[in-house]
Amino acid sequence: MANICSHQQALNSPYAGKVSEGQCQKLYWACLEILERTGVSLHDQEAVDLCKKAGALVTDGNRVRIPSGLVEKAFSTVPKSITLYDRAGNRAMQVGGHRCYFGTGSDCLHLLDHRSGKRRRAVLKDIVEGMIVCDALENIDFVMCMFLPSDVPQEKLDRYEMEAMLNNTTKPVVYVTTEFFGCRDAVKMAEIVTGGADTLRHNPFAVCYINVTTGLRHNKEALQKLLYLSGKGLPFTYIPSAQGGVTAPITIAGAMAANYAGVLAGLVLSQLKREGAPFIIPGWGGNMLDMKTMVQPYADPQKRGQAIDFGHYLGLPMFSLAGCSESKLVDQQAAAEAALTLYSDVLFGGNLIHDVGYLESGLSGSLPQLVICNEILSWLEAFMKGIEINEETLALDVIDEIGPDGQYLDHPHTARHFRDRWYPKLFERSNYDGWENKGGSSLGERAVGNVDKILAEHKPEPLPDDIAKAVRAVFE
Amino acid sequence: MDKIQPLIDAVINGDEDKVKVIVLEGITKGEKAADIMNKGLIAAMDIVGGKMEAEDMFIPEVLMSARAMKAGVNALQPHLTKDDAKDLGVVVIGSAQGDLHDIGKNLVKMLMEGGGFSVIDLGTDVKPEKFLEAVRENNADIVGISALLTTTMLSMKNVIEALESAGLRDQVKVLVGGAPVTKEYAEEIGADCYGADAGSAVRIAKSLLYK
Repeated sequence: MANICSHQQALNSPYAGKVSEGQCQKLYWACLEILERTGVSLHDQEAVDLCKKAGALVTDGNRVRIPSGLVEKAFSTVPKSITLYDRAGNRAMQVGGHRCYFGTGSDCLHLLDHRSGKRRRAVLKDIVEGMIVCDALENIDFVMCMFLPSDVPQEKLDRYEMEAMLNNTTKPVVYVTTEFFGCRDAVKMAEIVTGGADTLRHNPFAVCYINVTTGLRHNKEALQKLLYLSGKGLPFTYIPSAQGGVTAPITIAGAMAANYAGVLAGLVLSQLKREGAPFIIPGWGGNMLDMKTMVQPYADPQKRGQAIDFGHYLGLPMFSLAGCSESKLVDQQAAAEAALTLYSDVLFGGNLIHDVGYLESGLSGSLPQLVICNEILSWLEAFMKGIEINEETLALDVIDEIGPDGQYLDHPHTARHFRDRWYPKLFERSNYDGWENKGGSSLGERAVGNVDKILAEHKPEPLPDDIAKAVRAVFE
Repeated sequence: MDKIQPLIDAVINGDEDKVKVIVLEGITKGEKAADIMNKGLIAAMDIVGGKMEAEDMFIPEVLMSARAMKAGVNALQPHLTKDDAKDLGVVVIGSAQGDLHDIGKNLVKMLMEGGGFSVIDLGTDVKPEKFLEAVRENNADIVGISALLTTTMLSMKNVIEALESAGLRDQVKVLVGGAPVTKEYAEEIGADCYGADAGSAVRIAKSLLYK
């Protein structure tokens, strides 16, 4: 497990900040004003009724203006941290604060096939292989399905995705479903795996990723999922995806205000449905569409950092986004963007950091790219650790004993501590001849080899037969 | 017309007021409305389209150009003969059934209008019957269908089948687009063309109708 946490001890480990507490307060007040003055449109009757009953002003059937007091009240009941478990019920992640965990993204249409080097439509087997690789990689903490399978009945593809995740890794799952019924089936499958609704609520290992049209426009499926999951006390992310310049202001502050107003509307709804329901907010903000290509840039430097600061200010667990690239290949751009985005997210302290291994702005994924990200995370884990300065680590006696002309290689102090230092697995440190003797490969080539090795050797813990059958029976 | 280049520049720069002034000046001086339209306004938008595809222009700039072009057309309107006033073609456009996303569709609509087409926008979540009805009523030349989701992408095929069974398929060209749509998929369902982005839609639409 990646053990990365910014701000671990005051002034004793790296951390970063981009907006001040005063700026966060301005942003928060802007969200409250939008909710009271402009309001949101909620395309679900139960959601409208809940708000109305709680004192919101409802006009035009579904335009809901939410008083600030309701938001403030929601903050007093929502959990500030969520403990997630693995498939077997072991404690896996404490989501909140400055603790960082890493996972893949979901639903890439294409796979950059590591065997052929070609980009092609993804199939179910790609998800299975992706999950096996995730299960083996020590710095991938949770999984999303990675690919969209083109070879299963399309109206049920989300059920096949969920099944493939449950069958091929024990790591916690973040699932995406197209419609509400897919969400209900995914919960049924997760309940079968944990042994019932109560165990799943107490030891949640699956989080639903809910996407909302925009901050101010909440689609029916998103609201249905929010109310259903809140009612069951199960965790989910609530991520409005307004795009700056098109469905929100192009300015970072304006796009964030409009989007987080929607996040807060969702928060209010979740707490109205069930006080104490877990709720996860976005950890990136100020999205835009590239005004030349209309592509949504994932590795955009300007949407990073400030939303994590704002999440810490609000004190809620965050779903963040890094390890992704706009590149169409596993190339220099892909490595640079993956490294830079992961680096900034760990410095700021995002929580559930997803989309690791994404290429082509979320339209394709690559297993070698994921393996490279795993190595980057290993580097970052070493970088983010604080430094101990004490008698043993200063080693003044050893320095004096060895003196100016001696050497440390065979000293017991070196033997005790040389393993404390970081060593790469995939990055190359040999001298030129050494590298050449090993085949003179590039990072990308070594990553392909690593994927093949994992797929040949790693066998994830399978689900018991009867459980696997019951999971399949949910949708067949 | 001596002010063709300034007119083209004014459209490219999105200067609505200047476009109107130059158009009216031309009319006063006795220039042919059709020339102003074709050599000025439409020629300018062709340049804009090329620049957009080459990523030499930002989309908001393109939309300002389209708006300037429209202002020019409106100023010309009273002076155009029935023949001159003809649009490049009628486009019926909508998001596929079940799909509520409309960013891409709206962009194509604005660019098509800027490019000289007349566009009937059916909105989002459009049933095949609704496409059919609009094609019939407006005697459309092109049907544009957009989808963001792989699930709703499937319903594009239903529109083409509905056009076929109504005997209208030969009258219209079907243009499909959206993030999950590929050239292969467009061929598979029997669409006439696939647009990879909003920028290429206008060029493709013109090439479909005026080969």
